Amino acid sequence: MTEPLLQASGLVRRFGGVVAIDRLDLAVMPNEIVGLIGPNGSGKTTFFNVVTGIYGANEGSIAFDGADITRSSSRAVYNAGISRTFQRSRLSLPLSIFDNIMIGNHKRLRQGLWFNLMRRAAFKSEFEANYRAACELVEVFEPALVKRMFEPVAGLPMIDRRRIEICRALVSRPKLLLLDEPSAGMTHEETKALMDDILLVRGRNPGLSIVIVEHEMGVIERITDRCVVLNFGRKIAEGPYRQIAGDRQVQEAYLGAE
Amino acid sequence: MDAGLLAQYVTNGLMLGMMYALVAVGFTLFFGVLDVIKFSHGDVLTVGAFAALATFVGLRSIGVASNPVFLLAMLVVALSAMAVLGMLIARYLVLPLKSAPALNTLLITLMLGTMLREGVRLFYPQGANPKPFPALLPASSVSIGYFNLRLDNVLMFAAGVLVIVGLQFLLNRTKLGLAIRAVAQDEETARTMGVNFTAVVLVTFAIGSALAAYAGVMNGLYYNEINFGMGLYLGIIGFAAAIIGGLGSIYGAILGGFLFAALQTIGTVALPFASAYKDVFAFAVVILFMAWRPTGLIREKISERV
Amino acid sequence: MTPPVLPARGSLLPGAAAIALAAVYLVALLAAENQPVIIGLLAGGIAVVLAAYWLRWLDPVSRSFSEHEDALGAISVAAACAVAAYFHDNHFVLLLVVTVILYSVATLGLNIQFGYAGVLNFAGASFFGIGAYTSAVLNAHTALPHLLVLLIGGLLAALIGSLLLLPVLRTRGHYAALVTIAFALLLKTFLEVNDVLGGPQGLQVKGMSLFGWPFNDNVTIGDFELSFYMSYFVLSMILLVASFILVRRLERSWIGLNLDALRLDETAARCFGLDVERWKITAFTLGNFLIGIAGALFGMVSGFVAPNNYTFADSLILVSILLLGGIGNPWGLIVATVIVVVVPEKLQTIQEYRFFLYSALVIAVLLFRPEGLLPRQVRRYFPGWRG
Repeated sequence: MTEPLLQASGLVRRFGGVVAIDRLDLAVMPNEIVGLIGPNGSGKTTFFNVVTGIYGANEGSIAFDGADITRSSSRAVYNAGISRTFQRSRLSLPLSIFDNIMIGNHKRLRQGLWFNLMRRAAFKSEFEANYRAACELVEVFEPALVKRMFEPVAGLPMIDRRRIEICRALVSRPKLLLLDEPSAGMTHEETKALMDDILLVRGRNPGLSIVIVEHEMGVIERITDRCVVLNFGRKIAEGPYRQIAGDRQVQEAYLGAE
Repeated sequence: MDAGLLAQYVTNGLMLGMMYALVAVGFTLFFGVLDVIKFSHGDVLTVGAFAALATFVGLRSIGVASNPVFLLAMLVVALSAMAVLGMLIARYLVLPLKSAPALNTLLITLMLGTMLREGVRLFYPQGANPKPFPALLPASSVSIGYFNLRLDNVLMFAAGVLVIVGLQFLLNRTKLGLAIRAVAQDEETARTMGVNFTAVVLVTFAIGSALAAYAGVMNGLYYNEINFGMGLYLGIIGFAAAIIGGLGSIYGAILGGFLFAALQTIGTVALPFASAYKDVFAFAVVILFMAWRPTGLIREKISERV
Repeated sequence: MTPPVLPARGSLLPGAAAIALAAVYLVALLAAENQPVIIGLLAGGIAVVLAAYWLRWLDPVSRSFSEHEDALGAISVAAACAVAAYFHDNHFVLLLVVTVILYSVATLGLNIQFGYAGVLNFAGASFFGIGAYTSAVLNAHTALPHLLVLLIGGLLAALIGSLLLLPVLRTRGHYAALVTIAFALLLKTFLEVNDVLGGPQGLQVKGMSLFGWPFNDNVTIGDFELSFYMSYFVLSMILLVASFILVRRLERSWIGLNLDALRLDETAARCFGLDVERWKITAFTLGNFLIGIAGALFGMVSGFVAPNNYTFADSLILVSILLLGGIGNPWGLIVATVIVVVVPEKLQTIQEYRFFLYSALVIAVLLFRPEGLLPRQVRRYFPGWRG
């Protein structure tokens, strides 16, 4: 019986009087793709925010890769091997594609002042190596972008921005990837292509686990191994998609909430 | 120290606190409604004070001699002129930059403040020098025990209290106040509820600027002198007071204003040699407080959507 | 592996031509004595630049600078030396040139704080003044070598700046703004109220003396009598070139990327492992260090230091330069410094009004062209690199 990669136990997060996450137990195994679904406001993004240290947990604990990350800062969580994308795409718009991806690569870049300012030849080697790595990654999702690595991201259409955001999250070779509605604003074809690319990357990185928040059930059905359904911050169902899709409570939550 | 001296310090502290509170409330109003730090607020106070002075000089030159008339005219001119100025600032400088980074609004109002300040220095006759401000309130005083309670101070303080109470009434008991509070809490929702956002912003700026003008006149009456740099000083203190009280909270701003005045007074009492350092002390307190509790005693109402 | 598509290869010529033209223009402007002539030159200069902009003649210049920055940098230095050589015996003009250079260094420091890291510093002139006061005190009371004094001026400015760090590190920008303004006011008031550092009159500063070479004596080379400001010019240029290279390399490195990331989106930056506090501290301290060194040298150049020259209004001038020139662009910054420092000196009539006018100008810039005269370009880690 393998240890879970991520284990949230009894997690609670309140905002004033609102309980956004209500005694949540959620586990993610290594090399697993878990879908996190539920109506708007059910706590999915809040869960990501708590895991990545943006909000603290009021109660409960989170363990990752054997270590307790409940009180960890966002930095520590990243360094432990968790990367994410954001619901509202949060790229640095004036910066280039390459720059944005490199932001995600922080832990693999040398940060010393002397190195960066004085050892320019060595810096150039590191820069070129990382340029190649970034290009390889972008090539998977949208080869046309590889020629545009030094264009500001602001000029790209939304779908390309989402792809770059995913590249930013992947470049540091995380163990766990948290995707928050990656296909928002995309057409059916674009979504399918995106999911193909994600599966391709995952194939190249054995051991990578993914938690994906999605509203498109087709995506969930296709790529997830297992789903967790939230409503009002509480887990109301868990299991493979086909199993939970027939669950009465789940149907009511979605229909009732709309 | 004797009770008389203590009472004197307390009176000074209260008057100072009232003035700081008036400025701080303005800052908090602007921030609440537009998430904007209007750095020109203090300098609007200066312009208001000088507008009042100009009114006085003008009226006196045409033969007016009645103090109540002077006072009324000065207040009317200063408050309405600054209300208009506030609306112009909102309409042409702040609202256009609504979608730009907040930094730009901060910078533009900072530059505007400089323009106002320099404008007074350059264009008001002998603006670079401190100008005497008339004493228009009754100068009598009442002896209570060991010290003299000056009537004009009492009147000014009472008037200040009235203004604050009036503001609270406006905000909490009128439809306009409701609209302002709605916009302050959640602009989008307020709009969908039919609130005219632009109108609310303009009115809020008008109110805030009128408050500044009032504080400026009060300042002039209290010190019997105004100078072109007074707003910068009061603005910094007022801003700090607003932050201490938690930006966005009216009560907090008032609390912050009086708290700051109390600190300043205590400092002057505790270090009597350092009256020249009064200002240095004030600024040091600002810096220290920001180091210790920058979100204020009452939490600043920020919500960043992640 | 497809190489990136970068802007078309620019030739060196447009950039070099632009620099040469600018140098000639500057010489004319600095040499002019007559107010109508000066006004004419200024109007003419503006007209020419606007025309070039509309005719799109500025684009090749921009590409030129993108591709050949190092070469054009060297040419600029040569051009500056040529301008200085032309005025070799003119004290007034050389002092003005040195002032421009040292203000540029200070603004480069401000650029690291504000332009890259997004840390607001409205006490730039105060730190400049701290450097100047350091020169005054150390030159008068110690026998420390003057280059060391410069260094100490920088370190002291950085050290005092670190006292403000705690509030400056807080998330919201307006905290840093408030604290630095309060500090600027505090310092000026403190210096005026206090007689230890000369009070409102200030202090005299002994001129620089380098390895026994007294800077404050005129230099005679053969038949040429050089103004004593020449020595200061050479030293200032060295300081500017070093600072410029430092700032450029900083921007074109992972550190520059960190600063941009934290300025643009602090929360996301943290989620990718950025130690926001560390880099804000680095930027703020490094910036103040540069400002302090420039100030220390400026103290020695001007020969005296007084609180009235390093006020909050002066700090706003530095910020105005940054906004006018184009936040984050060192070339824009230098152009803006020249404009902001030289124009009021030549147009004596507007000297008095300069704070007023520059505020108005910056308001216009913020409303209509917030990216400034020379907007910052996308980061190219190595100019001319083709991948």
